[in-house]
Amino acid sequence: MSFAQAIVENVLKLAEEKGAKKVSKVLVEMGELLLINPEQLEFCFQVASSGTIAEGAVLELEFIKPHIECLLCGKRYDEPIAICECGGIIKVEGGKDMVIRKIEMEV
Amino acid sequence: MHRIEVDAEIDVLEANRRLAAENREFLKKHGITAINIMGATGSGKTLLIEKTADALGDKVRMGAILGDVVGKADYERVARHGVKAEMINTGKECHLDAHLIHHAIEKFNDVDLLLMENVGNLICPVDFDLGEDYRVVMVSVTEGDDVIEKHPEIFRLADVIIINKVALAEAVEANVDKMVEDARKLNAKAKIIKMDLKKDVGFDEWLEWLQEVMSKQNGR
Repeated sequence: MSFAQAIVENVLKLAEEKGAKKVSKVLVEMGELLLINPEQLEFCFQVASSGTIAEGAVLELEFIKPHIECLLCGKRYDEPIAICECGGIIKVEGGKDMVIRKIEMEV
Repeated sequence: MHRIEVDAEIDVLEANRRLAAENREFLKKHGITAINIMGATGSGKTLLIEKTADALGDKVRMGAILGDVVGKADYERVARHGVKAEMINTGKECHLDAHLIHHAIEKFNDVDLLLMENVGNLICPVDFDLGEDYRVVMVSVTEGDDVIEKHPEIFRLADVIIINKVALAEAVEANVDKMVEDARKLNAKAKIIKMDLKKDVGFDEWLEWLQEVMSKQNGR
């Protein structure tokens, strides 16, 4: 819910600056490691935006994969683990950001 | 009225990061070691704080922030042990954040050790840096021995992983070795403590770790 609230607050702030009457779509890039359930976030977004000019806006989510790589052999993984098959330490980068990329609004 | 598309580039989590950095600066300035204790409801977080207060209360100046959705039951439990305590009710939120801590820590400028009990779950607290020095995750064998593999992210980022209530493992058919192995697979560096607070198992190991990190912090 706090993620949804933060999105709505930021969207409304920018929409106000642009003199928008209505927000119709919001594109958010989300790190996979935030482990956000998209349906839950969409539901919370609808709740948090109700009664505002962003009510009914479409929330589009784009998930960004983290970069997970063994420091020793360079093997890449999809899921974060600590130790590679070769015994090397795994480095995990990214996958925890949440960035509002685009907002579609009516002015 | 016409439709426009605006490039926003707004980092939603930036505000929390900025406040966490301010918290970290405050803690450093006052020589406070701050520990974020995370874990499910009933894993033993409050009892760990109570027992730590009894063990260290007359040696170090300790403070505790108790995060809960509603009520002050945990606050009352901890305050009875003579440590400075503060309750944070988060309402509908399932985690503490840097903003909530920002308001609370000012009252703790005279402590050496600050234990911050997060709201009881293994999901939401992961993404909110409070400005703490160390992250501790506490689970109990009664949550099922698959609890670690089901919540990888919180264990991956922990400094200490405590597996509590090990004396009950047989009764609830939990495999403690499997839990340790799961934790190790996710986190090569964390200290793993097998504990049973009611039987005083592993508690000394916890105190040793605390004293070790506190002396390290004092020298920073």
